[in-house]
Amino acid sequence: MLTNADFLALDGEPGKFQAKINMRPRYIDADACTACGLCTQYCPRHQSDEYNEGLAQTRPIHIDYAQAVPATYYIDPASCLHLQHDTCQICVPVCQSHAINFKQQPEERILQVGAVILSPGFGKIDSSVLEKFSYGKHPDVVTAFEYERMTTASGPFMGEIKCFSDGRHPKSMAFIQCVGSRDIGCNNGYCSSVCCMYAIKEALVTKEHDPDVDITIYYMDIRTQGKDFDAARERAESIGIKFVRARVAGVTPWDKNLKLTYSTLDGQHKFESHDMVILSVGLESPKDAAGISKITGAELNKYDFCATETFNPLQTSREGVIVAGAFQGPKDIPESVTQSSGAAALAAAVLKSQRGKGVVKKTYPDEQSVTAEDEVRIGVFVCHCGINISSVVDVADVAEYAGGMENVTYHTESLYSCSQDAQEVLKQKIKEHKLNRVVIAACSPRTHEPLFQETLKDAGLNRNLFEMVNIRDHCSWVHANEPEAATAKSRDLVRMGVAKARQIQPLAEQTVPVTPRALIVGGGVAGMTAALTVADQGFPVVLLEKGSQIGGNLQNLNYTLAGDQVAKHLKGLVDRVKKAKDIAVVTNAELIQTAGFVGNFSSVIESGTGKKKTEQTVDHGVIVVATGGHEHRPDKYMLGKSKKVMTQQDFEKQLSGKATNRAPGSIVMIQCAGSRGDDLNYCSKVCCNHALKNILKVKEINPDSQIIVLYRDMRAYGMAEDSYLEARQKGVVFIPYEVDNKPEVFEKSRKLQVKFFDTIMQEEVILAPDLVALSVGIVPEGTDKLSKLLKLPVTANDFFLEAHVKLKPIEMAVEGVYICGLAHGPKPIDETIVQAQAAAAKAAIPLVRGFAKVDPIISNVVQDLCIGCGLCVSLCPYGALEMKKVGKKRKAETIAAACKACGICAAHCPTFAINMGGFTNEQLISQIEAFGDRKKEVEEVA
Amino acid sequence: MSDKQFNPRILGFLCNWCCYAAADAAGVSRFQYPPNLRTVRVMCTGRIDPSFVLRGFIEGADAIFTGG
Amino acid sequence: MGKAMNHREGSVMVLGGGIAGIQAALDLTELGYYVYLVEKSPAVGGVMAQLDKTFPTNDCSL
Repeated sequence: MLTNADFLALDGEPGKFQAKINMRPRYIDADACTACGLCTQYCPRHQSDEYNEGLAQTRPIHIDYAQAVPATYYIDPASCLHLQHDTCQICVPVCQSHAINFKQQPEERILQVGAVILSPGFGKIDSSVLEKFSYGKHPDVVTAFEYERMTTASGPFMGEIKCFSDGRHPKSMAFIQCVGSRDIGCNNGYCSSVCCMYAIKEALVTKEHDPDVDITIYYMDIRTQGKDFDAARERAESIGIKFVRARVAGVTPWDKNLKLTYSTLDGQHKFESHDMVILSVGLESPKDAAGISKITGAELNKYDFCATETFNPLQTSREGVIVAGAFQGPKDIPESVTQSSGAAALAAAVLKSQRGKGVVKKTYPDEQSVTAEDEVRIGVFVCHCGINISSVVDVADVAEYAGGMENVTYHTESLYSCSQDAQEVLKQKIKEHKLNRVVIAACSPRTHEPLFQETLKDAGLNRNLFEMVNIRDHCSWVHANEPEAATAKSRDLVRMGVAKARQIQPLAEQTVPVTPRALIVGGGVAGMTAALTVADQGFPVVLLEKGSQIGGNLQNLNYTLAGDQVAKHLKGLVDRVKKAKDIAVVTNAELIQTAGFVGNFSSVIESGTGKKKTEQTVDHGVIVVATGGHEHRPDKYMLGKSKKVMTQQDFEKQLSGKATNRAPGSIVMIQCAGSRGDDLNYCSKVCCNHALKNILKVKEINPDSQIIVLYRDMRAYGMAEDSYLEARQKGVVFIPYEVDNKPEVFEKSRKLQVKFFDTIMQEEVILAPDLVALSVGIVPEGTDKLSKLLKLPVTANDFFLEAHVKLKPIEMAVEGVYICGLAHGPKPIDETIVQAQAAAAKAAIPLVRGFAKVDPIISNVVQDLCIGCGLCVSLCPYGALEMKKVGKKRKAETIAAACKACGICAAHCPTFAINMGGFTNEQLISQIEAFGDRKKEVEEVA
Repeated sequence: MSDKQFNPRILGFLCNWCCYAAADAAGVSRFQYPPNLRTVRVMCTGRIDPSFVLRGFIEGADAIFTGG
Repeated sequence: MGKAMNHREGSVMVLGGGIAGIQAALDLTELGYYVYLVEKSPAVGGVMAQLDKTFPTNDCSL
């Protein structure tokens, strides 16, 4: 990790680039800094806190936030008195660990790398664009980023929302959408895609703070096209947040309030007063986009985002340089995370032959044997954590107390137990005093247990011979004003920890080998891309397709909004899959049965047609689900009843044909036909752009064609906004309709007619177009069977549900199973390809590792005690126990790789035959007994 | 004990993934709470055998807290 | 990660330590590559570290 670093140059070629970077000095030695914060307290100068969007003050020497990584303070050279004026240096003697070093110099480094991933994020809209909304002129006009810091409980106002002008709590607030997006005035013609969603989020959070506050969101189109995002808008409406379709022209101060001037669809100009105005600012290309482009040769698009192609969305114009995140185009967190995983797969493919060569493999000394018969020799280390613990708890007293306990051979205090030198001391003391159990009383095992366990391993001790007692987070920090009680509590906790430590036994680390093969279900663009990407990592793939040939929905498409010829790309993709020697394609195939767990699946596949059906068994380590979806054909709007009514997909086919009247003179398009609360509850994300792509095709063939689009929100997010603008410039009329007043299509005197309420003219209109094109939604291909077979959860709309919507958008709840494409949710081709590449990256991880490591704290059945009742098997939420025949009896057995160590089985076993490694009955009972110990002690004293 | 006030001794079983994590977070945020709780970390509250609770009372706990 | 030699086969540079960069770095590490995560500011985390809650799950961002 190289922070405070600038990227200067990139030479060479894929596989062997030289990247030049400049490391700016922090003026603080990162290894010595303990992040105690004393320096900031003493630093005499104030400056604006950029982390808090300038809403708070900090000092030149500071850390942005407590959880920052690296957890090292730094000195801002632009404001430090010493670095600017050669004075001060107060911080130098204040720092107890002598970490401050003003002699640090910038350092240039050349990195030899095989590939480069560009993920510089996004830039912020220039404040000059915000001036017309009185931003900078009136303190109660804030950007959504500033507002986010304001609502944060840990932010500068502790989550209290108030007007900057006079500190009153706002009673009426306005969100203005599309500030710096969809705005040709500031050359940002694109849609930033995320602002509608974050405005709704911030509005909902505000309502949580104060249910009485009146909130209005001024918008042009609400673009909540993401998976299940519409539900958020509905929730917002249901709790009284108002949505007004209007373009806000300006904001002017008006007495204590702010006056919004806006125009509505029907041409009216209106005014409204609010206490506070929040600007939903868009995402811009990063400030240094041009510099990065110049250094790497990666070309930019007209809005200075990185230019990529629909069918290769992460590849920049420079080979070996890959892009991910908002630099590729504005996008939200899950899509960024997905792109990153996809980018990792592409970078890995460039360097396949070098895999594993750069990774440092650590070696450990042989583990010393510790048996139950050996004398227990416990070492107790009580940590000061600088002053975090010792300023409240009497550390010396606690250490002394521990020293008096049975089996405690050694006890000591340390300033920072987690520091590098303390690890050396720990190792040395383990050897010197022949310690075979270590208790560290310091902070949380959730953060620091792995560090100390690593040290134990380095010292030749089994990593489980360790117990941590949390006397910081659970004691000194929360009882800061009661030092005596805190010391007493620390003594109790240490006593309980030592009691547990006496019972700890070493646990062998278990590993399970992995079958290095991927099974991919579905041969559409998602499945094919995933197959190719996994094969590019050097692993064999079995690709199942239920139809007679691979290709999926791409076979129904002809061109894209960006102008790609789909057939050409499809052929290329299919050819590559067929030629790849590592990919075995099975067509007319169905997954019948799957057993096993991550790394070791075994599946039965049925293939062939009619009487020639055959079954085969495939062993594989991972599964990628790419079963896809298809167009929903609603039984509405005369679809299937009139030849003049067709779906956009049908229309696309007609437009790609040769018929002379394929682009007729008058066309009505109906958006959301059967979607968003109709047959389908959700937005299908692609239909608006599908309509735009057909519109532009019509205009190409027949420029005189009159097209009317009836829509609810045109969701031309991202760069598609350009096409929306182009369509309007070419004379296409877009008219929104209300959900309770939908257009009607019927036949009258054998003529097709469309009736709708024109919200612009405020009157009912009846037209007799030559053609009606319906923008219909997407439904998943039957997910029911597969979800039962693989125990995969689905959403209310029958799409597969990912493990975590934000942070694990590719993984499924079942380990070793990954999801991509339409089976996950409606999405366009480029997003499908990225998701498939990401799924391939995730799927390759267990295959690369070659074995699955099992934390030894899992359950273990003592078979002599097991009576074979099977209670544990039925209770285990992870399917991690199975009944096995041992001799003549049935006994339970743990499936190590599946166990999550929850202990439900152990708590319910009627014969106490199940023990949890690291949390055995003996250990926990000893701990509870030790809890009671103090009472005896108190009684004795009394 | 000289303190005549009722000063309960509470034994807590905290799930590693939620309640123990929450107790850590309380520390990080410096929330102050009475120092009457002594905790035992488990990987899941499902681990808690009823006998642990009874044992806690035998050992003199005035209350048992389980958080998961 | 930590201190590293400058010449190393099988390594990738990730420019930008926001959520995208971090995720790419983690995945590459797990795929068996050495990663240089180059970030211009003093800490990784990017904009996501500034967010209060993520939506619609409202998980804490940090």
